[in-house]
Amino acid sequence: MDLSILFGWAFLVPLLPALAFVIIGIWGQRLGRLEHGGWIAVLLSGAAMVLGVLIAVGEMLSPNSYTDVSYTWFHVSASGPFANGVSFVVGTLVDPISALMLIVVTVVGFLVMLYSVGYMHHDEGLPRYYALLSLFLTAMLGVVLADNLLEFFLFWELVGVCSYFLIGFYWRKPSASSAAKEAFLVTRIGDVMFLLGIFIYFSVYAMTGPNGGWAANGFLFVHGSTSFIPIGASGNSTLLTVAGLMLLGGAAGKSAQFPLDVWLPDAMEGPTTVSALIHAATMVAAGVYLLVVGSIFLGGYTSIVLFAIVAVGGFTTFYAATMAVVNTDIKRVIAYSTISQLGYMVLAVGAGFALVGLYHLFTHAFFKALLFLAAGAIIHTIVTQDLFRMGGLAKKMRYTSIAFLIGALALSGIPPFAGFWSKDDVLASVYSQLGAHPEYWPFFILAFVTVFLTAYYIFRVYFLAFSGERTRDASLPEAHEVPWVMLVPMMVLAGFAVVAGLFVFVPSFGSLFTGVPGLATNVPPSYGPTDLVLSAISVTLAGAGIVLAWVLWGNGRVYELPAGSPAHSIRNLLLARYHVKAAYDWVGMVGMYTVARAADFFDRFVIDGAVKGFERSFRSMSDSMRRIQTGLVSDYAAYVVAGIIAVFVLLLFVAPYLASVFGGG
Amino acid sequence: MTTLAITGFLALSFALFAIAIFGILTRRNFILLLVSLEIGMNAAILNFVYFAALAPANTGSTSGLSGQSIAVVLIGFAATEIAVGLAIVLALNRSKGSINVADSTTLRS
Repeated sequence: MDLSILFGWAFLVPLLPALAFVIIGIWGQRLGRLEHGGWIAVLLSGAAMVLGVLIAVGEMLSPNSYTDVSYTWFHVSASGPFANGVSFVVGTLVDPISALMLIVVTVVGFLVMLYSVGYMHHDEGLPRYYALLSLFLTAMLGVVLADNLLEFFLFWELVGVCSYFLIGFYWRKPSASSAAKEAFLVTRIGDVMFLLGIFIYFSVYAMTGPNGGWAANGFLFVHGSTSFIPIGASGNSTLLTVAGLMLLGGAAGKSAQFPLDVWLPDAMEGPTTVSALIHAATMVAAGVYLLVVGSIFLGGYTSIVLFAIVAVGGFTTFYAATMAVVNTDIKRVIAYSTISQLGYMVLAVGAGFALVGLYHLFTHAFFKALLFLAAGAIIHTIVTQDLFRMGGLAKKMRYTSIAFLIGALALSGIPPFAGFWSKDDVLASVYSQLGAHPEYWPFFILAFVTVFLTAYYIFRVYFLAFSGERTRDASLPEAHEVPWVMLVPMMVLAGFAVVAGLFVFVPSFGSLFTGVPGLATNVPPSYGPTDLVLSAISVTLAGAGIVLAWVLWGNGRVYELPAGSPAHSIRNLLLARYHVKAAYDWVGMVGMYTVARAADFFDRFVIDGAVKGFERSFRSMSDSMRRIQTGLVSDYAAYVVAGIIAVFVLLLFVAPYLASVFGGG
Repeated sequence: MTTLAITGFLALSFALFAIAIFGILTRRNFILLLVSLEIGMNAAILNFVYFAALAPANTGSTSGLSGQSIAVVLIGFAATEIAVGLAIVLALNRSKGSINVADSTTLRS
């Protein structure tokens, strides 16, 4: 069957969840029997999944096809340098990378939606939850399928605003609403940079490039290495460097890369399902996807930008992993691990292997969603996120513990689980560039060390939560296995976490990673002997991390740092998140507040002061003037007489005197 | 008529006008105020008559009796003014119970 006929119908994929958004948003309160619209969201996101996966399979069966369906949204008539006017288009582009993302977003989205039916059952405001979660999916699918940069940006912003609403879902909690604001504002910094990047790209590509440039074709993505001017050839490389850095800023905001990473751990205030979606399929994936799109459709990056991407990604990988090592909140540890894994993806893009980054995004989505859903199952039954109050849960929640274990193994990079293949690919990609770019060495080493840290922190979580005899805090509710509606999504994701890395060995699936012209690929099965050595080292490191975690935390043990150890200060530094958040707070509370106070002073005393001063002087003037208005006729008569006398004095004495002085007639 | 005579007449007008101004500025009784106004008005009318009598007849295009006729008209004006003034006095007396101008310093009841 030829599935490529579905490519023209790709716009339906985002529209199905949008339909759910509308239905639940309007009639959600009356749909109590359908879990306040939950089942509608499940149904429509399931339909979107079927269509999305079919389109993706179609793309695999007709490799390297780029199917663009676009409509002119509006057209600005000719003006200034744009002799043919400027067009703005909307449309969908089905290509290898959007096919891959369609699988990730729709599958994870559907499973999270299904899981929510069990997880959110007792919560209030369910219509709002399901409506926004559906809109979140729509926004992300819009990003994935957008065929031009402007449409991409619009959906990108929609992703941001949905994340704001969902992180602040428990808005009565002050910490949740402030986390929502933080997420919105921090990503906004990146969004503004992204917008500036679009402006710069437009200034470069408006008149040159395929089909007469962006002014004529509406910011359209056109693939191929010759689609735009090669970097450097046009003498615009400085502009393109700035534009690339702006793009990196936008991606860093959405994908929580240093230094715009502060919002992601705090975003754990939202429901766990939202965290799963944000971390696996929607929000943070958008940033990496943007970088990949930039590599493929925007003419690639200049060498300075590539180094910046490597530096940001490599550093963030390590930086976030260290903070995960000491945290005691199960969701936060997983959140830090997301930042760290996103760092790997960014690192791969920076090394020139954008599709390797995307490959890691693909596998990571499944095991990260799995970890979050398993953590959510724990939180659902024992109502705490504190690791040190948990323990012994493996006995009570057998399936959840297996699911979490599979997720943890995949995250650690133990073969044959999904994370192993993609993470090793990232490391091998960077390694292959070390000869040409020795300045990548520090970041390569950081990324390698992180393999050890990753295995350690995720197994610390696993042992603290699941091993041992019983929960450390006896006051917690009795743990029990979660209902099937939550178990099924976990099992499906666990299946993906085992095999998703192996998909690339299927030729048609692997073609998604090899078909983009002008891009180096290092996705298996193009494995070399050096890659095997690297794999052996990284697996050893991961194994060492797991063993260390078992020694310190296994079987119900709790490792206490010896008193007076210098490690305490490191631990406190890590718990304080390197004071980065405090620095942001300082900038806000001291820096911005000082500026605001100065502005307030100026406004209050200089501008308002001038206005009020005028008002006051007129008031006092009129206060003194009104005293002559006595209402007594005799007084007015006296003023008249005085006036007549004054006129006579002026005419008879003053005027002749002035005339004599100034010499007039 | 001599220059001395006109000076004397003008002195009379001036004195009358001064008395009128004095009365207007010092009296509080509305009727006395009206009386003072009349005195001042008459001082002005007298001036018309003096200068009309003093001016040579049939000079210019105006009739020799123009000053006198204006005086008569002004006497009529003065009468109407008094009529209106007395009406105001009556209305004032009705609303305030007094014709002292110091008692009515606002234009409302």
